[in-house]
Amino acid sequence: MAERTDDMQMLPVRVNVNGENWQGPIPAQETLLEFIRVRLGLTGTKRSCESQVCGACTVLVDEQPISSCNYLACEVDGKSVLTIEGLSKNDVLDPLQEAFMRNIGAQCGFCTPGQIMSAKALLLANSSPTRQEITEWLSGNICRCGAYPAIVASVQEAARQGNRSVQ
Amino acid sequence: MLPPFKILHTHSIEDAVSELSRLGDQAKIYGGGTELLILLRHNLLQTEYLLNIKPIAELSHIRSVEDSVRIGGSVTHRRLETDPTIRDRLPMLAGAESQVANIRVRGQGTIGGNLCFNDPHSDPATALLVYDASVTVHGPNGARQMPLQGFLRGMYSTALEPDELLVSIDVPCLPAKLGSSYLRIHRLQRPTLTVGAAASRRNGAIEEVRLAVGCVGPMALRLTELEAKIQGGGPDDSRKIIRESKSYLKKTLEPIDDLLGSAEYKVYIAGVLLERALAQALENVEKKQDGKNG
Repeated sequence: MAERTDDMQMLPVRVNVNGENWQGPIPAQETLLEFIRVRLGLTGTKRSCESQVCGACTVLVDEQPISSCNYLACEVDGKSVLTIEGLSKNDVLDPLQEAFMRNIGAQCGFCTPGQIMSAKALLLANSSPTRQEITEWLSGNICRCGAYPAIVASVQEAARQGNRSVQ
Repeated sequence: MLPPFKILHTHSIEDAVSELSRLGDQAKIYGGGTELLILLRHNLLQTEYLLNIKPIAELSHIRSVEDSVRIGGSVTHRRLETDPTIRDRLPMLAGAESQVANIRVRGQGTIGGNLCFNDPHSDPATALLVYDASVTVHGPNGARQMPLQGFLRGMYSTALEPDELLVSIDVPCLPAKLGSSYLRIHRLQRPTLTVGAAASRRNGAIEEVRLAVGCVGPMALRLTELEAKIQGGGPDDSRKIIRESKSYLKKTLEPIDDLLGSAEYKVYIAGVLLERALAQALENVEKKQDGKNG
């Protein structure tokens, strides 16, 4: 987070993060990643490539997947942000989190929050994606351990689960 | 961490242009910000102000205008991938846009920013050149329109003046007789080579052909000399002509040796993809005609 100086432009921001309202001034150059990790202390969102390639810092802004490393925090004014911490409610995990655990959709786990948030955006947009739609959508989330087959299986299972619970 | 800057919101094209004239080098246009924020982070660019053009509603329109589509400079790649008008009237462009980087970049990055940045490794310009697209920019002395090929000047370089704003891209639809194809090979989301083709056939001969290649050299290019050689011949002749055009491709595309491959490899792949894209474009014409007859 940038150290505050007198000539820094501070912008008023009102935002809903994981269901809770936050408001306050933010420096113009603060990234959404800095806002989430440093200002709010939500460290589930990971900092990695910082060039919008790897997907480790993916969060949802108004249900759209965003690289929080390369997105200005002031842009979320009036919007809602969902991070990995907001997926579970009252200790009940999201079907995606359950499926990633059951299928071991991770090895080291560093990319996992980004994988899950990206998959969450996909399932919000398309509740029954094909295997190809899943792999295309997640192609921007890199897993250096190479857990891709288990990640895809996890998303497929969560989609089936989600659709069953809707019915 | 990003160096400090101030954000100025603009609400009309006139407003943005007058701010650009007033601030000169101290301001940079902020649209999607995908490339801009990376440049700022790595100190490859310094600026005091980001001129936010997102509030300008006119820049985010997609409109059918007679036989062409006018695309506002702030339209994102994701919209070009999914918009029904683009998918229906400019299907090759929609296909190329669906391959840009990743879902997050497509949701944030804009077509205007992409063309103005003119990164050599980018998809849209190659497709747009096949459509004979033109761009409209606004400056202190009003608007000027130019063909996209003339707008693209070189690596990270365009004809855009510091006090001008890219407002729209006019993309003429392909005539019904032309089929089209867009192919690329890529590593880690960045294309190594992109090829766009459109072609029509008459009495077994290639009547009209348009070919563009991107990502190999400083910028995307139409291969007009190669098009002229192929025009009028049969599909078999075209394959032979492309295979014999290695020195022309090398001279025109200006490939370099880098981590994506040797210059020689890129010229070889350019030939392979040109052959395939042309064959697919001709196949797509027939499909379109079958569709009509059926």
